[in-house]
Order: sequence, then structure tokens, then C-alpha cells
Amino acid sequence: MKWGLVAFLTVATVVLVAIAWLQSGGLKQHAMFAAVTPEEAVQALMSQIQAHNYQRAYASLDRSSDTDLASFTRDMAGSDGSLRTYSSLQTAEVSPLHADRDQALVRVRMNWSSALGSLDDVRDLHVRRDGSVWRVVWPKPAFSAVPPQVVSVNYLRWDVIGRNTSQNWGAQEVDSPKVRITSMNAISRPGRVVILGEVENEDTVPAYLNVNATLLKADGSPIDEEGSFDLISHVLLPKQVSPYRIDFPGVRMDAVKSVRMDARALLVSASADPVIAVSDQALSKDGLDRNVLKGELVNQSGRPVNIAQVLAAYYDDSGKVIWVSDGYVDQALMPQVPVPFAVDIPNDIAGRLKNYRVIVNHYTQASN
Amino acid sequence: MRDRHEIFVLPTETSIWQRPIPVAAIILLALAIHGPLLAMQLPATTSYDANLHIFFASHYAHHWFNPWNEKWFGGFSQTTYPPLTHQWIALLSYIVGLTEAFMLVQLAAVVLLAVGTYRFAQLWVDDRAASYAGVLAVFAGSIAFLVYSAGQLPTTLSAPLYFLALPYFYWWCRSASWRALLKGVALTLAAASAHHVTLIFGSVLFAVPVLWLAWYDGREQEQPAAPIIGRGFVFAAIAAVGVGVILLPYWIAIIRHPIEQMPIPHASRSNLLMNWIYGMNYFIVPYGALLLALPFIVIKGASNPRLRMLLLAFWVTFLIALGGTTPVPRWIFGRAFEILTYERFTLWATVLALPIVGLLVAQVIDRFPRWGAISVSTAAVASLALALGWLSWSPFRTFSSLNVDSVVAFLNRDGHDQYRYLTLGFGNALSKVSTFTTANSVDGEYNSARLLPEMTRYGAAQLTSAKYFGTAGMDSLRVMLQHADHYGLKFTFVHDPFYEPLLVFGGWRHVESYDSGAITVWSKDDAPPARTIPSDAVPAPWEGWMWGILPIGSSFLAILFVWLLAEPRRVQGTVTLSREMPEGVYADRVRS
Amino acid sequence: MMRTSRGDFTLCKRLTGLALLCVLPSWARAAELQVPASVEAGQAFSIPLEGSGQATFYLLGPDHVVKRSVSLGSELPIQSGDVRTAGRYQVIVCGSSCTSAGFEVKAAQPAHLSFFLHPSRVPVSTPGSIDATAFVFDRYFNLVLTPAAVDFQITPASGAGFSRQVSTRHGAAWMRMDSTPHEGRVQVTAVLGNVEEARVIQQVAAEACALRMKAVTSGDMVTLETEPVRDCSGNALPDGTVVSFTKIDKAGKSTVDTPIKKGIARVQFSVRGPAQISVACGVVLGNEVALGGKL
Repeated sequence: MKWGLVAFLTVATVVLVAIAWLQSGGLKQHAMFAAVTPEEAVQALMSQIQAHNYQRAYASLDRSSDTDLASFTRDMAGSDGSLRTYSSLQTAEVSPLHADRDQALVRVRMNWSSALGSLDDVRDLHVRRDGSVWRVVWPKPAFSAVPPQVVSVNYLRWDVIGRNTSQNWGAQEVDSPKVRITSMNAISRPGRVVILGEVENEDTVPAYLNVNATLLKADGSPIDEEGSFDLISHVLLPKQVSPYRIDFPGVRMDAVKSVRMDARALLVSASADPVIAVSDQALSKDGLDRNVLKGELVNQSGRPVNIAQVLAAYYDDSGKVIWVSDGYVDQALMPQVPVPFAVDIPNDIAGRLKNYRVIVNHYTQASN
Repeated sequence: MRDRHEIFVLPTETSIWQRPIPVAAIILLALAIHGPLLAMQLPATTSYDANLHIFFASHYAHHWFNPWNEKWFGGFSQTTYPPLTHQWIALLSYIVGLTEAFMLVQLAAVVLLAVGTYRFAQLWVDDRAASYAGVLAVFAGSIAFLVYSAGQLPTTLSAPLYFLALPYFYWWCRSASWRALLKGVALTLAAASAHHVTLIFGSVLFAVPVLWLAWYDGREQEQPAAPIIGRGFVFAAIAAVGVGVILLPYWIAIIRHPIEQMPIPHASRSNLLMNWIYGMNYFIVPYGALLLALPFIVIKGASNPRLRMLLLAFWVTFLIALGGTTPVPRWIFGRAFEILTYERFTLWATVLALPIVGLLVAQVIDRFPRWGAISVSTAAVASLALALGWLSWSPFRTFSSLNVDSVVAFLNRDGHDQYRYLTLGFGNALSKVSTFTTANSVDGEYNSARLLPEMTRYGAAQLTSAKYFGTAGMDSLRVMLQHADHYGLKFTFVHDPFYEPLLVFGGWRHVESYDSGAITVWSKDDAPPARTIPSDAVPAPWEGWMWGILPIGSSFLAILFVWLLAEPRRVQGTVTLSREMPEGVYADRVRS
Repeated sequence: MMRTSRGDFTLCKRLTGLALLCVLPSWARAAELQVPASVEAGQAFSIPLEGSGQATFYLLGPDHVVKRSVSLGSELPIQSGDVRTAGRYQVIVCGSSCTSAGFEVKAAQPAHLSFFLHPSRVPVSTPGSIDATAFVFDRYFNLVLTPAAVDFQITPASGAGFSRQVSTRHGAAWMRMDSTPHEGRVQVTAVLGNVEEARVIQQVAAEACALRMKAVTSGDMVTLETEPVRDCSGNALPDGTVVSFTKIDKAGKSTVDTPIKKGIARVQFSVRGPAQISVACGVVLGNEVALGGKL
């Protein structure tokens, strides 16, 4: 009895641990690090990247890779306070595209969890056989650089001074900026109602802006109230126009009788810098055959922009805004260096759009 | 503990190494070891949950009979967590202040844990081994881990109350002593009032082996089994009714709003073999040198029939404590596996193992009196030292020591408390902010009470730590920020620049900085003042009265009964210990 | 705001006064007190008291109550500080019996103006875009209800100033006027006797008008520069105003939102093949430039 129980407890514990190890993907992980197939090699690489173990990840690359550790790390971990530096690899889906005896092409769809939500990065990686294992051939990252130069910056800036909320009744005050919603369109999308349009700062001072919408029933009672959140440019310089989009998830269009719009503007200090050009915009398809609006961003100022957001408004042939989409760029915008971007367009919208307009929001770290 | 069930007369020639350590010495040892650590308020600066419990206590200190707390989640009911420890802190806070009151209650818990381990061990092994178990409990890594790293005061108070109740349960089953019944039930009710989870699992993991033991010992002394088992059920029935009544507001709350939110990941549920840091945190550190004794525990437990049920209870608890390292907890708990956390099971496994470890210590000391004592002491101290050292070496950092005075001052001035606030990157310092500010937050640290859809639908815990929950956490935070106007959420305090881009793109403005920019204040200027969020989770006034009277009353009752209802001193058999005595032949204990 | 500066009012006193008002009307009819029908705020006066012996005097004002022991058969002085607030007052004197009388305190001479000029910025040449409202108060901040003539003096940054006189109604005088065609600071002063209050309004350029740009090509680069951007009155749009340039060529569409600097907006594009370039400022479209033929 004594030794029987000892043996039972010992064996049972070992078996239970082994079962859990298998269930947790231990065997798979073991096989993955053995990298005996191209997919396992990519998965092992992604696993190292996920663990922020760039040195080991780099060491696992094929020797023919045209990169060094610093470039590889910069490519994956980001640099210059870019959005990638605020991200971590959440999942990586690997699918083989082509394989022969010594070479393979593997598509990896990386999903990054970032400070601004989930980001997808799709890459097609070449994998080569190296003896009994496969190794990823990492392409040379395309980091553009501009020659050293001095850029003169004489940007404009607005400051608000002398405001005092405790002043007497009737004392001199400055008004909030005057903004106007120039267009509004309510559309029905699967599982939600979307309000979109454009808003203009009509004033001669910058405006800090929020646009809210309230959906009303036939009896005038509210259904839901939502704001544009990050689907708008909150800082509008004089005469600047921003698209906005407000989503109402779970609301059906037939329940909505009217919409109450509310654009609230504040007078704030602001800067006209940086100016970001949006060049070579074109409608296209991405690697996953989705409709996208592609282009490049060029920071025309002298300071880096850490995170840029592309906000695109799409118009039909009557000039009505039919969709607004956005996308964050995971590279920092260094001065004068073009950075590519792509924002999704729903298929039905892509078929109807006649024109589009892109604006760029930005975030620059305080220390820059 | 005025009652003594047995007296062993030691032969005068017995060596000091072979005598049981007096309970008073165990208590003094616990005070000497943990007193200074708690006097330094270590849990308040190093643990995850200490500030949470102080926050709960502060609510009782201000609103004893109103468990509806509007400071978190736009309002939540504190009837979702048994209140005993919090109410004791609230009571003591009137004398010494909140944090100090927490430390006092925690010290009491640690002392009771040592005594409870000793009393529980006395059921299974002789007094000497039991006293060693009590001493080892003072140094146990799992206790240090739960107190100084996890800050789980309710668990560490509830467990000893339960372990103290078990000997009375045993004696009630064996002897039908109504005194034992009253004391056992009162202690059980107090234990349930401190921590419901301990009671639920303790009933199976601790009480069933003790009931089996009562039956086993009764059989040895030719006592019929039916009355013993019957009395066990009577005890269980009375305790169940008592717990049902005392924690009625809790049951109402849990039935009305069962926990249906998306599971929140917790490291204790992971497979510890897949991540050595987790393995260190939830296995090596809590068990410490006890791991060296595992072979002995299994062999000794298996070899003595009287210890077999204890061994099995330990084994099951040990497996559950491993979290996702075995499939056992998932099989046992089903969906609840994703709700529970498993670090507390290491404490219970430790206490279940200590009686057998006490036997090992006695054997070692018998064989090598001086060096045995030195090596056991060294192992015990090393276990405690490892757990305390891990507070510094661990890659997991708490924010308990973050200075939040500027945040509290900002919220408490100029009517800022008319709005709700959010902290980002504050970790568990959120509880500290919430304790001392008059403003309300949409966030909170007590996940089970969350009812706001922005939090329950995403599988992330606190918004203040959103980034650690990946996409789920950031999505949850994003939705909450989108609904800022709805909740009157106007101020966000940021202690991690990671969150700044989301605020900037979401239309928030940086308005102030504190601590040389370490904490920044962001405002959503057009947010309206906060309104009361209607909820069907608000307890009825009578529930508030029940909640304010019965749980704390159960603890007073337990103290009263234990103090006043002394068992008659009796001698079951005077046994002379002899080194030559063969194993297991005296009294109804197991000796080394 | 003005009245709360008096610190002697308490709820207790007011309740006492109200209670007295309710309880004593029958006594009040017993004897008449000789009080003036109305007095000016802050003006001391006296009330003759008939009879002999001691009595208690109550003065119930809109924002305070005074209680004093007085001797009957003498003049009861009312201090200027007791009647600073305009409104209805009640005097009650209680000896063996109580008598009461009421009087009105009217605002004194105008001494302060609260002046609202709205908005603080206004586009030029906009009809009815400027509102000026002045409230007249005496030195105790009682609203002066007696009609008075407020002179609104308008002084533009350039050009001759003018004024407009408006009589107050119920203590307020207001006027509405058009913004002038020239941008710049406009000072509006409300004047009433010796009292004057000045506010400043900024007249700013209106929407861009006749927006035009010119293109200078250099290799595959084109530099676009607007003519000085002005509104239809010829005022230059302020620096920082955003002008949008859009270029469409083989590479696709490129846009740059650039702020006006020193009156003009400038931008540089690279061009591949024929290109069409347009310019806009807000909702105003400018001219289009075609480079290298049609697209």
C-alpha cells in the first residue's frame, strides 16, 4: 500500500504535468524551435520577437540575410519613438506560399498590440534550408536617410494669454473659435449606424475640437450619444477642414429619426508645425487583396514626428462624404523622409467613391 | 487556546531538542519575525492587494452600513467581497489610522496562522511535530509571499480561522461536545466572513480529511462511525445555514450578477513550465525549502495510514496550486478555472504539508540534534529570505510606493471631484488614490464587481494597467475613453507615457504635470459633471444593516466562545515518551 | 455679485424680520410712522418718532435686517450704510405697541458700467455682427433703472471713429452694428457721464477671395506659390491660415495643407508627367494649374 500510493502519486503527477505541457503547446514549441519546416522556422523567429529576444531572433536568421542586428532590431522593435516602439507582437499567423526542397516563401501576418489599438503587418519571407533546419532570410530594411543639413524653421504658433476665469462679470474675454460642420451624412453599416462628414474651423485662431452626435428616436428621446474620438483632427488651424466619423455600434438605422450634432471648440495654444505632405496617393489592393488607399507621408519640418495618423474622407460623385477611414503609421516621420502608408477602404465604398481627401494627425513626444 | 485535550508528561531526562515548542514561543517568534516587517508597512509598498483592502476598509470607515461604493466602476457593491478583515481595519483605523490598522490585522493573521497550523497539525501528529509545524509556518515562503507580495489579507486571516475551527470540528465529531460545536461553528463563520473562497475550498480540502480522521480515530477506539459522520453533517449544516445568513447580501449579489465577464488572464493560471519567471513566482518562492521535503512528505504520508488522507488532500491542493501546469484545476473548476487565481492554494498546500514536515524535522533533530536544528533553521530562514528577496529581484513590480499626493490634492480641489477620473500606469497605486480622494473613478482594482460593459466585454483587468492585457486591454481603455462624456470622465492621470498617444489622438489635452513630469494630468474639457449611474446592483438598506452587523458579529462571537467556553481539562492517557518506543503506538497521534 | 459683498446679512435675521412682518401688521395700523416715500441708495435720513419711552426699531431691507433700541420722542437716524441696497424697505418700531411703514430705496447716480462686447473676433464687412450691451450701476452696484444715455464710441484701427448714443431701458443699453471693411483692432467704449468702460474687438479677414497661385517648374519639381491671400475687402488672411494644394499626376494624388506665412502659401511637389494642381482655402477654391498638358 505504502509504495503503491507513493508510486501512484508520483506517476500521476508526472502524467498530469505532461498532459498540461502538451496542452499548452510544449511539444509544438519544441518542434517549432527545432525549425525542421519553413513554417516552424518563421514561427520560431516570431516567437523570439514576441519575447523581445532580438539577439536570439537575429542569430536564428540565415547568413545570407542582408541586415545587421541593429537594423533588424530597429525594423521589428521600432525607433525614434515610433508607434512600433509602443507595440508588442501579439500573434503571428504563418502560411506557406511556395516551397521547394531548399527554398520556401512564407507569408506571416503579424498582429501588433499597440498604444493605439491593433496593427497588422503582413510580410512575405524567404526561408532557406540550412542542413537539417530552415532559416529565415531577412530582407534589408529600407531605412531612408537624408544627408546632414540645416533646416530653417520659422513656424507659427498661437498662445493664449491673460485668461482668468475668476474675472468680474462683463470683463474682456476672448471667444472660443468658430467652427462649422460643413457636411453630415448618416449611413447604415453592418451592426451599426455611422455619422460622418466634415467640419471646418472658420476662425482665424486654432480650435481644439470635439464633435459629438446624438441619435434621436421619433419621439425626440435619445438613443445613444457618441463622439468622434480619434476619427477627427482635434486641432484645426484656421480654415482647416477635418473629416469626422462617429460610430454607433448596435444601433439600427430604422430606429433613428434624427441626429443632433454638437461641435465643441476650445481656444488653445497651438503650433502650425509640422507640415506633413501626403504624396502619391492612389487606390490600390494590398497583399491580402483588400482595397486600400496608399501613399507616402513626408514630414516637411525639422523635427521628427513620432506617430502619424492618416485620416481619409471619401466622396461620391455628388461630393458627399460616404466614408471616413483612418490608419496609424508605425514608423516615425523623420524630416524629409517619405514613409509609406495604407488605409483600408470597405469594398462597397471602393466601388462608389469618386474622390478622396487625406489629412494627417500627429503626435510628437514632449521631449522632442 | 485555553483548552487542552491531552497532556503528555515528558520524562525528566528528555533533551531540550525533543520537547515541543510552547505555543507562546511560536507566537513570540511570529511577532518577532513579522512584527518589524509589518511595522515598516512592507505590504503597503510591495504587495499587489494591500492598498485594495485598505480602500475597502476606508469605505466601511465612512459608510459602515452602506456597502454601495461609488468610488470605483461608477458604483459597485462591497457585498461582493466578505467584509470581516476590512471592517476590522475600519474599526482599528479610528485609533491608529488606516494603513497601520491594516498592518495590525495582518499581524494578527500571521500569528493566528502559526497557531492555526500548530492546532491543525496537532490533529495529525504529536505535539512536538505539531509545534515544529507551527514554527515553520512563521517562516513559510507561501505565507510571506501572500502577505508581502500578494497582499491577500483576507486569505491569510480566513485560513487560520478555519484551521483553528477544524480541531473543534474534530472533537465535536468525536465527543459531541457542544462547546466544541459552538466554537467550531463560530470560527467557521468568522472564516467565511473573512474570505468566502477559503471556506468553499476549505470544506473539501481541509474539513473532509478531518472528518475522515475523526472516523478513523473513532474506529481505532471502537467508536461507531455513524454518529461521527452524522455529527460532521450536523456541523456542516449549521455552518452552511450560518454562512448563508451572515453572507446573505453576498449571495444575493452573486445570484443577481453572476460573474459572466470575459476571463482576465492571470499568471498563476499559466503553465509554470513554459515560463520560468512564473515558475519562480508561483512555485519556487512560495514553497522554498519545503520542496526538498516533498519526497519525505509523500513517503511518510503514504506509509502511515492515519496520514494518508492528509497526504491526498495535500496532493490535490498542490496540483491545484500549480495552476495550468496540470489539467487538474481545469477539470475540477471548469469555467471557474478562468476566474480563480491559484497562489492561495500554495498557502493551503503548505499548511496541509507542515504536519508531515514537522515529523521530518523531529526525525532530523533526533538524529542530528545540533546540526539538524541548524540545518532546519537555515532552510526555514532561507525560505523566508527568498520570499522577501523576491520582492526586490522579481521582474514583477508593483506601484504601491508611488507618491500619489499630488493626484489626490488635484482631485480634492476646485470642484474637480464633480467629475470622474482615470489613472493610467498607476498599477495598484490606484487604490491609494481612491482611498484618499473624494472623486470617483470609472476604473477599479476589484475585477469581480465590475458591471460596466466597457470593462466586462474585453477580457482585461484594470484600465490603469491596460497595456499589460494587450489588445484586449487597449480596446477596453479606448472604449472607456470614447464614453468619457457619458461617465463624466474629465481627468486622466498618466504615469506611463505609453498611454499619451491614445489620449492625444482621442481629444484629451495635457493640462498639468507633477513630480518633474512623472505624472501628467490630461483633461477632456467638454466632459459634463458626473451623474449617478443607475444600477440594479445597489444593495437594499436591510442588506447594509446585515452586512454591517453579522460578519463582524461572527468574529466577536468566535472570540467570546473561544475565550469563555474552555474545554474541561482532561487527560486521555498519560504517555511516557521513550526513545525506544516503536512508531505509532501511543495516544492517537503520529510521532516521528 | 455686488450684493453678496455686503457681509451683514444672515438667514437668521431675515427669518426674524419675516416673522415680525407676519405677526405685527395689526399693531402697525395703530400709529403711523413718518418716512419718506423713497430715498436714494446710501443717503442717510431720519424718522421722527412720537411718544416717550424706549422702543425697539427694526429695519427690514432686501438683503439685511437692522435691530436697534431707540428712544421715542426723538429723531431716529438711518445710517447711509443701512440703505445701500436698492429695493423695498420696512420700518417697524415696537414700544408698548408696534407701528410700521415702508419706503423705497432707489439706485443712486450711475457709477459703474458692465460692458459686454461680443464677439471678440469678427470677420470684416459682416452686417449686424457686433453686439454691445452696457448695464448701468450706481456706486453700490444697484442697477440704475432710471433711463440714462450711454454713448458707444467706436474707434477703428484705421479710419474715422464714430459714436452712437443709446438710452438705457431697465438699466441696460445695447446696440448692434456691422463690422467695418478693414481688419484690425476696434475699440468700443461705453461712456455714461464720467463713467467709461472700453473693450476691444478684433476684426479679422473674411473668407479668401480670388485665390490664385502660380507654378514655377524646375526639372521634375514644381514650386507653387499663392499670390498674397486676401479676402474680398482686400485684407490679408492672417498667417497660419491653412491653404490646401492638391496635385494629380501619374504617381497619384498628393496633398499638402500648409499655413500661410508672410501672406502667401508655398509648397513644392515633384511631378511625373502631366499634372493638374489646384488650391483651396477652407471651402474656397482657387485657380487650377495644368502642367505638361492634360492628364
